[in-house]
This record gives sequence, C-alpha cells and structure tokens, in this order.
Amino acid sequence: MHRTPEGARGFLIAVSLLGGAVLIAALGGVLAFGALQGAFPRSLDNAYPGYLLLLFSVLFLAPLLILAARLFPFITDWYYLLPAIVFLLAFTVYPIFLTIYFGFTDYTGIKSGKADRSTETQIVRLEGTQLVLASDAAAALRCEAQNCAGERLEVTSETERATVRVVSSSGPEVELESAPPFTPKFVYRINTFKYIGFKNYMGIFASASSILWPVFLWNVIFAIFAVLVGALPGLVLGLLLNNKDLKFRGFYRTALIISWAMPAVISAQIWQAMLNVQFGPINRFLGLLGSYPIPWLIDQEWAKVAILLVSMWLGVPYWMTATLGALSTIPDDVYEAAKIDGASPRQMLLSITLPLLRQPFTPLILGSLAFNFNNFGLIYLLTGGGPAAAGRPSTAQATDILISWAYKTAFQWDGGQAYGLGGAISVIIFFITVFISLINFRVTGAFREVR
Amino acid sequence: MSMARILSWVLALAAVGWLLVFYVVGVGSTYRGLLERIQASAPIGFIRVENGWAYALGGLLALAAAIFVYSYAVVAAGNARHKRRKSHWPLFWQGLTHLFMLLFLLFIYYPVVQILAASFDPTNSLYKFSTPQTDNLLLKARVIPDFSNASWENYLRLFDGIAVYSYQWILFLAAAVTLLGVLGLAGYRRLRGDAEENSPWATLQARLLMAFAISAFVLVAFLSPAQFTSQNTEAKFVLWIRNTLFVSGLTGLLAILLTAPAGYAFARFTFPGRYSMLLVFIFIQMFPGFLGLIAIYILMSNLNLLNTYTGLVLAYSGGIISFGTWVYKGFLESISKSLEEAALIDGATKWQAFTRVLLPLSAPMFVFIFLLQFVGTYSEFILANIFLTGVDSWTVGMGLRNFTSGQFSTKWGLFAASAVLGSLPILATFYGFQRYFVSGYTAGSVKE
Repeated sequence: MHRTPEGARGFLIAVSLLGGAVLIAALGGVLAFGALQGAFPRSLDNAYPGYLLLLFSVLFLAPLLILAARLFPFITDWYYLLPAIVFLLAFTVYPIFLTIYFGFTDYTGIKSGKADRSTETQIVRLEGTQLVLASDAAAALRCEAQNCAGERLEVTSETERATVRVVSSSGPEVELESAPPFTPKFVYRINTFKYIGFKNYMGIFASASSILWPVFLWNVIFAIFAVLVGALPGLVLGLLLNNKDLKFRGFYRTALIISWAMPAVISAQIWQAMLNVQFGPINRFLGLLGSYPIPWLIDQEWAKVAILLVSMWLGVPYWMTATLGALSTIPDDVYEAAKIDGASPRQMLLSITLPLLRQPFTPLILGSLAFNFNNFGLIYLLTGGGPAAAGRPSTAQATDILISWAYKTAFQWDGGQAYGLGGAISVIIFFITVFISLINFRVTGAFREVR
Repeated sequence: MSMARILSWVLALAAVGWLLVFYVVGVGSTYRGLLERIQASAPIGFIRVENGWAYALGGLLALAAAIFVYSYAVVAAGNARHKRRKSHWPLFWQGLTHLFMLLFLLFIYYPVVQILAASFDPTNSLYKFSTPQTDNLLLKARVIPDFSNASWENYLRLFDGIAVYSYQWILFLAAAVTLLGVLGLAGYRRLRGDAEENSPWATLQARLLMAFAISAFVLVAFLSPAQFTSQNTEAKFVLWIRNTLFVSGLTGLLAILLTAPAGYAFARFTFPGRYSMLLVFIFIQMFPGFLGLIAIYILMSNLNLLNTYTGLVLAYSGGIISFGTWVYKGFLESISKSLEEAALIDGATKWQAFTRVLLPLSAPMFVFIFLLQFVGTYSEFILANIFLTGVDSWTVGMGLRNFTSGQFSTKWGLFAASAVLGSLPILATFYGFQRYFVSGYTAGSVKE
C-alpha cells in the first residue's frame, strides 16, 4: 500500500498534482474547443455550445489522472475525493468568489461585457489596423467619447469573432490598436463593465437608514420569531404526545407531520391563496369569530404576521418530531428516581425534562436560525417581499429580507439586472452567515467532533 | 433561582409584553397598531358573526366542562367498583390534550381541506362573491366546503390532450402494480410484526421497490414535450411534474455519486490534510448555495447551459456534497473495518473493497442521501425560476405560480388541483420513508 508523504509536504504535493492535472485538462479543453472551431467553422448564430469545453476538459483529465497514478501511486487515494472537491470548487466556491468580484463592479444586464447588437455597423474594408465603416463611427457605435478612443469593439465575420480596442476614430475611419486576425464584416460596440471599487457598498451604506437597516432588522426579527413560533408549540405538542398513556398518539404524530411533508414551494403558494383578503378561507373563518377582513399580505405589518403564521404552520411538525426524538433518549429511570424522591410532575418538567432538552436543541435552533435567516422561498412565494413600503425601492419592500433584496436587485432591478449591486448585497449576507456559522461551530463543537 | 435572576426575567418579559401590546393596539397617532389597520367594513358575501369569538370560547369551555364531568364520572364509577381511590385528574388532562390536539389538527388541516375542496370545484367558487343557499352557517360562510357540485373537471383539464404511447401505458401499469405490491407487502409485514431487514418478504419488497423506481425512471426520462398536444398551458402539468421528478432524481443520483467516494476516503484513509479538509467541507455546508446565485447564473449562461436540466442539476449539486460526505463518513465509521480488511488481505484493491464490500452495505445511507436531495430539489424554486424559461421546461412550483400570478385571471380551481397532485409524490415519499427523514433531519442541523 502506498501512502501519501507525511505532513504539509505530502498535502502540498497531492494538491498540486491534482490541481495541475485539472488545470492542464482545462487548458486542453480550451485548446480543443478552439481547434474544433478552427477546423470545422460554424456560423456565429449556430456556434458550438460552451459546455463542450467542460466535456473536452473531462476527456483530457482521464488520461492525465491515469498517468499521475502511474508516476505517483499514492495519489489514487485522493481520486476518491476529486469529484466532490471539483464540484464544490466549481459550483459553490468559485461562484462565491465570482460574486465577491462582481460586488466591486458596475455589472448590469446592459453593461454585461457583451456586444451591443443595436450598434451593428457594416465594415467596408480593412486597411492594416484601420477599419473603414459604412457610416460615421462615433454616431453609429454610440461611443462615449467623440473619437471613440479606448472603446472596445467586437468585429465578426460569418464564423469568427474578435475583440479589438480603438485608438481613435474620425468620420467612418477607425484606428485600432491591432488588426483582427481575419477580415471582419460587422462591428459592434461592447458594453463593458468595470471595477468601481467600493462604490456599490458606499451606495448601500449611504442609503442604509432607509433600506439596509430596516431590511436587516426585519430579517433578524423574522429569523428569531420564525424559530420561536415553530419551536414553542412544537415543544408543547411533543411534551403532550410523549405521554405514553395517551390514546391515538401515533395517529396525531403522523397526521400532524403533513405540513412538514408537503413541498414548501406548494404550501407557500397555497397559503397565499388562503390569506386572500376578501375571499380567503382564513378570513372567512375569522369572520365567524367576529373579525372584519384582515388585510393579510396587503398591510405592511399584517404581512409580517402572515409570514410568521405560515412559518408556524410549516415549522411545528419538525419541532414536535425533534422534541419526541430528544425525549425518547431520556431514560425512564431518571423520572422514577425523581418520583421516589417525591417530585411533582411540574418539578420533573422544569428540572429534568427541559434542562435535558437544551443540549439536543441548541444545534437544531442554530441551524433553523441560519436556515430561516435566508428563507428566500417562503418570503418570495408568499408576499413577494411586498407590500410596498414608503420611501423604499421596489427591490426592498416591507417584508423583503436581505436575500430576497439581493435577488430582486440582481434580477428584477428597474428595467434590467444589477448584478454588481446584487453581488455586493450577497457579500454582506455572506459575512452575516459566516458570523452565524462561527457561533454554530463554537457552540456545537463541530471542530472537536471532526477529530 | 436567585432574586436578581427572577427580577431580570420579569423585567425582560414585561418589556417584550409592552412592545407586543403597542404593536397590536398602536401608539397614539404615531404608529397604527395591528388592530387599527383592519378596516371595519365587510365586503359583499362576507359573513361576520358579531362576538363570534365569545360563542366559540364558550363552546370550548363547555366541552372542557363536559370532559371534566365525563372523566370524574368514569373514574368515580371505576373507584366504586374496584374499591380504590384513583384521581380523575389524569383522565381529565388526557381529555384536554385530545381537545388541544384536535384544535391543532384543525389549524394544520384547514388549508389542506380548503385546497382539496377548491380542486373539485370547477366554478372557482372559492373566490366568488355569492354565498351558497343554505341555513347552515358554516356552509354558508364556506368554512366547511360544499361538495354538492364536486366534479373532476379541474383534474381532467390538467390531463387534456396528452398522447400516451402504448409502451408508456405498459410501464405505467408496471409502476402501478409494483408500487401496490410494495405498499401491500409493507402493510402485510407490519401486520405480522416482521421488522427484519433480511426476511424473504423484505427482500421481495426491496426488489419490487427497485422495479418501481426503474419503470418510473424510464417513464419520466422518455416523456417528451411533443406528447402534449393541447394548446392550454395547464395541460402541460404532467410535463412539469415529469421535469421536476427528472431534475430531482438526477440531482439525487449525482449526490450519491459525488459523496460516496469522498465519504469513503474520509472514513478509511489517513492522509495529510484530512482534518482541515473535513473542516472546510462542513464550513461550506453552512452557506446557502444560492448566495453565489448571480455568479452561477452568469457561469451557466457562458457555458450555454441556461434553460437546460444539465445546468440546473450541476447548479444544485454543490448543495449537498458537504453534508452527504459528512453523513456517509459517519455511517462508514460505524461499520467495522474487519470485512474490508479481510478483502484487502485476500488481494483486493481499495477500490474493490469499496465497491464490493462497502457499497452493498451502504444502501440505507444512499437512500437517505438520495431522498434528502430529491425532496429538497423538488421544493426548490429560486434557481429553477431564473434558469428555466419556456412553458415546456417549467417545474411544478413555477407552473403553480403561473396559475396565481396570471395577468388576466387567476385559475384557482386549476391551481388547487395541481397543488394537490403536485404534492402527492413528495407526500408519498415522505410518509413512505418517514424514519429516514425523522432521524436524518433532526440529527443534523439541516432543514429544507
């Protein structure tokens, strides 16, 4: 049996071998993709799909891994980890870093780094590094500067495309930094996005008093109360159902689980229908109790109450089950001993049951807090963040939490998408989540458990 | 408890209480409380009973009193017969517990019953002004649904115009028969008290379940949008179910493929950096996957994987890797090493020891990881919503939303019918594999 060299050296060797193999494979994938396009050119409307890159890279990776296993037999141990690590890096870690990067740019749906198709202009001819267009360059390409200096252009032929930078232009003539490697037919201006430093963050904190703080405050209140309204009734139900003399306890337990078992994406939408002001079954029921129609989902404050009501409906069975599970681990003789000592049921509850529940409940409560803190689905499907709150943009309304604010900023910004700003908000959420996670780590002792 | 501690609790509770009171009734003219935000006017057809709450409360108290009388009488009669002195309080307490449980069941099942009723109502009357002509107050207020006009129309519209090939009927039949077999066997085993994992009936049950899974998978994988000939959006419902099951199933399978080898390596190998890598794994687990949503969207857009299930499955895959690896590692550590060591001594490679010895033993854990990811993905909305465009590739959640957020009319009947049908696969999975979920969800700190 071959073993990885000991210590940090072994770790570094293994990681650099794996990383090297993946990098070379990725490079090979890019080259193969280029070669394919070069050998069998396809028109740009029908270009080769980008995922071929991934396929080619995997094809390159396989022989590389076999080769590495021949040369360094110990590396095979690491191959078991490779798929998980690659997927984690590609679809969890890399996107997080990319989001952080976007947070420092003015990336939007328009400034997307892509060619603006509405600036399409025909190229008459190419002379060295000079393009001659069919019409006045600055007007046709809608450059920011008079002579288009510094703009990036995309030039295309039927099968090829390239990006070039403008030195200057006058009339229809455009002077480029370097000539494109083929004879282009059309030219487009590229809407670049650029690094803008902390501008997004400064914008967020400059308007913090009307957006960030209220949203954050509601987010915290929502997370805490969503746990409370689920956990307290769930605890009571669990304690009641733990009574072994109670008939039908199995039935109650199974029947109550339904709201946990239903897909939340459906139950949230069912509740939206239930809470309709004029016709909703909830208001019809409350009408029998003497209430006028309650403006659920329409009034700012009632919308919050509605969200907590639905959180309760969704959360109670989970906490009931958790309580029953935790109670089943408490041995009976503890209670018998207490009974012999003459303890009353109330004393047993307060000084045996509840203290013993604290330990199993702590990680569950923290986990549930972290989950509810980012419970986008419930908010988005129930209220959509609404109703509108005075003085706040459409992306951060009365019941919006941070994550739905980020989502709506990124994808439903006025007339487009503000990826950069959305990224910046995500980074703020990221830090808060790290904070909660660290507390979770400390309290639950996950570090120690690993050893 | 010391005096100071009690005092601080009392003060804190009082402060929270005051805040709540102000929240409900309002603070003068600066802040309108919850109660002040209700307009004192009832729309047409809204039935309001003045002081109805007093009647309801009175009814509940009367019930409690009846329970008291009953328990007192029963215990007293028993005492008299058996010449003993037993307290009637435990029985009374049990009665109250039942009352409480029934009220809670009412709360939990009220939306379920209402949506069931709406699904059988072709006239959309859940959202109509007119009230039924009846003297029963509960029926009139439509708190108790009126099933007198029930019809399958909403359901039929969901299945309208689907062209099913004959091989699909056969597969469907096979799936239905095997599923019935599994359920029948489960009931039979429960009746006989057969809880063994290795009894012949259990083996048969597992095989039937496998057959069901395979036929259902083939059915789902080969159902194509071309088979849905109706012009109506709602007639694509089966296609949405199919899409959701397809994505969820693939995501679940991918989760097993990715986490099994990693869990094995962490459980059995000793290599430098193992501890820190495990830490990184569980640390990553604590981040909701969609924090990187924007970047994943851009990434998939550059790879031309938007609006494809491949892209969606890849985007979901990051979510469970850490947790699944962690759980599987824990599972393997609870299995003795002696079996594999025997295999290794006989000349098997590590890979053979893993695939031949450990994998067959790990089936329950794989079922758990699969189900966790399957159920989680089925309920996912946010990524699907930005990834998938076009009616043909929607998932159930997106289709449902289309019924209620339609610009011109809200199709409540269709919404209700598809909510009922759309919940069934997950309800069946959850109740069928209840013990996996209960142990899994409550052991780790994950909750979907």
